[in-house]
Amino acid sequence: MRAVRDVSFSIAAGSTFGLLGPNGAGKTTTMRMIVGIYMPDGGSIQWKDAPIDTRMRRRFGYLPEERGLYGRMDVREQIAFFGRLHGLVEPDVSTRTDRWIENLELNEYAKRPCAELSKGNQQKVQIACAAVHNPELLVLDEPFTGLDPVNADMLLATLRELKRNGTTLILSSHQMWQLEQLCDNFCIITGGENRASGTLAQLRGAWTTRVIRIEPASPAVRGVLDRVPGARSLPGEEGELLYEVPAGTELPVILRDLVAVEAVTRFEAIEPSLHDIYIRTIEGAA
Amino acid sequence: MNEFITVYSAETMRRLRSRIFIVGVLLGAVGIGLIIKLPTYMDTVMNQANRVALAGDAALVSQAEPLLRKDYHVVRTMPGKTTVAPSDLTDTKKISAIIVLRRAGHAMSVAVYARDPGNITVSSLRRDLLPISMQVATGLPRTELAKAMKLPVTVHATNSKFGTAAQANDARIIAYIMLFSLYILIMINSQLIMSSVAEEKTSRIAEMLVASVNPSALLSGKIAASATLAIVQMIIWIAIGFILGGHPGAPPALDAADASRATTFSLSNVSAGDIAGFAAFFLLGYLQVSTMFAAVGSLVNRTEDLGALAGPLVIPIVAAFLIAMTALGAPNTPVVIITSFVPLIAPFVMFARIVVSDVPAWQIAVSLAINIVATYAIAVLAGKIYRVGMLLYGRPPKLSQIWSVIRS
Repeated sequence: MRAVRDVSFSIAAGSTFGLLGPNGAGKTTTMRMIVGIYMPDGGSIQWKDAPIDTRMRRRFGYLPEERGLYGRMDVREQIAFFGRLHGLVEPDVSTRTDRWIENLELNEYAKRPCAELSKGNQQKVQIACAAVHNPELLVLDEPFTGLDPVNADMLLATLRELKRNGTTLILSSHQMWQLEQLCDNFCIITGGENRASGTLAQLRGAWTTRVIRIEPASPAVRGVLDRVPGARSLPGEEGELLYEVPAGTELPVILRDLVAVEAVTRFEAIEPSLHDIYIRTIEGAA
Repeated sequence: MNEFITVYSAETMRRLRSRIFIVGVLLGAVGIGLIIKLPTYMDTVMNQANRVALAGDAALVSQAEPLLRKDYHVVRTMPGKTTVAPSDLTDTKKISAIIVLRRAGHAMSVAVYARDPGNITVSSLRRDLLPISMQVATGLPRTELAKAMKLPVTVHATNSKFGTAAQANDARIIAYIMLFSLYILIMINSQLIMSSVAEEKTSRIAEMLVASVNPSALLSGKIAASATLAIVQMIIWIAIGFILGGHPGAPPALDAADASRATTFSLSNVSAGDIAGFAAFFLLGYLQVSTMFAAVGSLVNRTEDLGALAGPLVIPIVAAFLIAMTALGAPNTPVVIITSFVPLIAPFVMFARIVVSDVPAWQIAVSLAINIVATYAIAVLAGKIYRVGMLLYGRPPKLSQIWSVIRS
């Protein structure tokens, strides 16, 4: 079975990249290819304009979707083990391990076997394992899954800190608002193919309609909006009108016409969210 | 190299601290101790059962005593006492039987009064007392009879590395212990590797490991760590063997006769060549079996499936062990010679041949060469299966899928 085909994107160094797609879209396969678990049977993956080799991969970090740790190994030892696997040596490995334990508030569990930790804390340990060597590129497959809101915020802050320190991040998640807050660029894939990519502004730019919210919901206002070419009414809250208009529509002209017939108390152009773009893209692909 | 060392040291520490390793070392030590000390202990027990008193015709008693020492511990003589009452036995708990020798003209008879008749072997009594019986029957002087009965038989060793039958026997016992250790070490540690690989897969840490380390370094690090610990186990067991075997366990001394009959052997008969052969073939056998087990471990999705998949792998190892046992007695039969070149089997069989016979150097060299190449081939194939198997979840792979992975 071919899991991925014709997926192509580039990521600026130090930026954060969101990989979106429904279950089975090919996100995990793409990430596994980036970190070298799978070898693509066609195309190429490059890092800093060079094909990725084993030495380069040691400067990458990876948090897989399926979580797993050595159950009997204690937290500190586990993080240090992955640090050493990525080439860290003493005293660096100890310093960094302790810093990650501190940052992720794992101090009280540092000497406990991982199997004794809650799922959320185990996930934090795994994140530390993936990032302890301060990777140039950190690939995180569904990092927010299973975290409570407090720990999700902590992870968000940690990832922002990594980004500030120059780590390039690739994330996949179904939590669109978190990706929207964190990522500079996005790629939406489905059926193993690239459907849309770019910054949020670019994705919005490619959106063919805009939504406007107007108050009051009077017949005069409705009459003006119904005359706009290509406009259609959407279900909205009581006392407001929601209309979808073609993307090229001159909104100031509509506002001027509305003010001429009614005392307009609200006129809002709603930008499509990442969630809206994602849903529309997936539906379009289907 | 750094990856290998990291995996190696982490795996070594993990295994060293594991309960199963500590328990394995202790149980093995107890087993070695039992193998070495049990014969001595059994001998002591048998001596207790063979403690007899001699009674009857005074002349016969004095002649019989030295002859019976071969098989019995004569603790008391009662010359002239021809009638035995049950109380004679019950009064003295140290005696398990009273042997009464009687003479009537040119005939001699023997009566045994035993607590447990099963402890008295009639044939051994007949054999031991035959010279006296012959003397009574023929009236010939004892010296002449002894001369006639001592048929000169000379055994000429033409193709043996041992000077005496006792040395050959010692070598077989030592070879048996070493083969048994080899078998136990290979089986236990290979299955531990398989469990360790399966644990990494089922706990889902495998994906993170494979992304961090070259799978070959991961596999070789694990196997090397396991081999090191197996060698540590072996050294501990051999040391215990030397300590216990170096002072052949004499039974609680009853008297000089007991000590002379104690069943003992000495590990000091192990030659440097035997140890080198053991080490070389142990390593080859260990690497062959453990890499196969590791590859199989990577294919399971549930640790419960390990037994079913390991079963077919155990068959050649058990076969090798049984052939090696045969080789201890018949090291130069065609089947044994041929199998001493076959990978997986050779490490056991060739080692057995080396200990108990003079194997031509070319055969050892060819066997080593074949097995080194086979070890490499198995490692390459196992590496391929391991790389794919570690990330293969869902239904267990079909044989055709495994074959296509091997061919890729």
